[in-house]
Amino acid sequence: MESFFVRYRNIVVLLAILLAQIIGLAVQVRRTADGRSTLDTHDGPGVRLIRLWAQALVSPPELLIHASKMGSKGLWQNYVDLRNVRQQNQDLQKTIDRLRLEQAALLEDAKQGQRLQALANFQQKYVYQTVAAQAIGSSGSEQSHVFYIDKGSADGLSLDDAVITPDGIVGKVREVFPRTAQVLAVNDQTSGAGVILETTRIRGILRGNAAGRLEIVDILADKRIQKGEVVLTGGGDQIFPRGLPVGVVENVVQDPERDSFIDVIIAPAAHLDRLDEVLVITSTQARFSPEQQQDLATSEALKGSEAAAIKEQKKASEIMAERLPGLIDPNLPPDQQPLHDSSNPTTVAHPPVALHPDRFTPGNAPGAVPDATSAGKPDSNAPAEGDAATQPKAQKPAMKPGSAQSTPVGKPASPAGKPASRPAQPKQTGPQTGKPPQNGQPGENN
Amino acid sequence: MPLLGDDRRNQEIRRFPILAYALVPLAALVLQAWLPRVMGRFAWFDLPLVVTVYFALDRRSPIQGTLMGAAMGLFEDAFSNHAIGINGVAKTVAGFLAASIGVRIDVENHTIRLVLNFLLSLLSSGIVVFVSRFLLGLELEWRWYTALFAAIGNSLIAVVLFPLLDRLQIRD
Repeated sequence: MESFFVRYRNIVVLLAILLAQIIGLAVQVRRTADGRSTLDTHDGPGVRLIRLWAQALVSPPELLIHASKMGSKGLWQNYVDLRNVRQQNQDLQKTIDRLRLEQAALLEDAKQGQRLQALANFQQKYVYQTVAAQAIGSSGSEQSHVFYIDKGSADGLSLDDAVITPDGIVGKVREVFPRTAQVLAVNDQTSGAGVILETTRIRGILRGNAAGRLEIVDILADKRIQKGEVVLTGGGDQIFPRGLPVGVVENVVQDPERDSFIDVIIAPAAHLDRLDEVLVITSTQARFSPEQQQDLATSEALKGSEAAAIKEQKKASEIMAERLPGLIDPNLPPDQQPLHDSSNPTTVAHPPVALHPDRFTPGNAPGAVPDATSAGKPDSNAPAEGDAATQPKAQKPAMKPGSAQSTPVGKPASPAGKPASRPAQPKQTGPQTGKPPQNGQPGENN
Repeated sequence: MPLLGDDRRNQEIRRFPILAYALVPLAALVLQAWLPRVMGRFAWFDLPLVVTVYFALDRRSPIQGTLMGAAMGLFEDAFSNHAIGINGVAKTVAGFLAASIGVRIDVENHTIRLVLNFLLSLLSSGIVVFVSRFLLGLELEWRWYTALFAAIGNSLIAVVLFPLLDRLQIRD
């Protein structure tokens, strides 16, 4: 017996080690109700211990490499590559101011939404607290899309915390160690997230395929799904808050196993292959975080100050208008209006006197007898002043030769024929602004 | 150059400093975890397998090759989200075969090193798929050309890395 083990010790050792590993594998796999084999979502104590040892062995060198990389990168970025930073800073400040104003409006809507959700007994979770972390390592296997971050349970991380970047979702915390954590990326084959298409409102399950691409599975064929449609988190998976960007639809392909289903290939919003910094959502609450509330207050203060400034400008213009001579004085005849500029040196070109006057001669037409008293009065044939639809026709009498002779240039012959340079008349809106009335209804274009 | 080793070479067992046994596999594991972050989806190599094959070939001990392969594979599994043991089984077999072959052939021949790494890489990938899909019944999608690229990458790395590691040997 002893000689057998000595003689075949190599193969015996091989078989013993293989057998031990296969037994260990069998312990980790379990059967689901539908007969499929799967791994537990979370590792058992023994497996977790092995992962902890492995990570404890490898993470210090990884952290060292990462620190060296970040140090050299920071040295370059903070001391060398600072060109155009001042201009960028000014541009960013302008962007922040603009976004604050926009945020104020959005947060108002969100507040209203919260109130409505409270009425409907539905609690929407908002990102309340995040922890910034650096990606320090990966699984090293193409079949396993997990990576490690330099924050762990000591930093407040826990299982199933959502991991995001400002661009979009990244994954969830799968395993937590004291100083590090393992993150399962959304493009892993075993991952899953509830998503919704922004415009069509079609819901589906996001997962990764063998190539590490994102795809939405288990949705019925729908021609409304178009390339470029934005995909957001649906909020139904209890991991990712609702409304976070996931990516855009890149392609729609037929499900190879089911005819009536399609797979929607997604181009991820976050750069899953080149992750450096991520945010781990450690807390979601049904109310705004202190930072968001502070931003809201700042936005409202900015919005209030801007409104006050506009009000001040209006008030100043009104005061100036009161102090300056008015352009139109209703108590004065037209030729004595302040707008009338008698200092114009341009000589008025009067038509030459006809040698043989006939009925076509200016002033000889029947009913065109110059009457100085009619200059400031509305023409009896002119329509009512408020009838904007017929206003252009009413301007024609101003060109009557008889009126032209008796009225200085620039002076209106009648209220209906006032020139466009008289903005003080309140009912000259439609035709004078050049904008035709909307819907054919005069006077409604304002 | 003969491909089969002579008797003297067959009896020769290369020795390394203790630190080399510890630091080279550790460096392989760390680089395998770190480089894919830099290279993205183009990280077609398996450094722990290359190191396993190297030590198994040079030590010419199937037991040591088996143990080395098992340890490296288990570490790789521990870094992933897969069951622990899948890569362990694959690299255990690879280490055992490399050491068994190393007894019979000239392990300093570059062609042999290249071909051996290529074949063992393919074998390792095949065992991973076999264990995952058929032994455990897991739904693992697999692309053959990725395994092929990884095998080519391992072979090229081995041609460059093995002479460097040879410098660590303790010469009598």
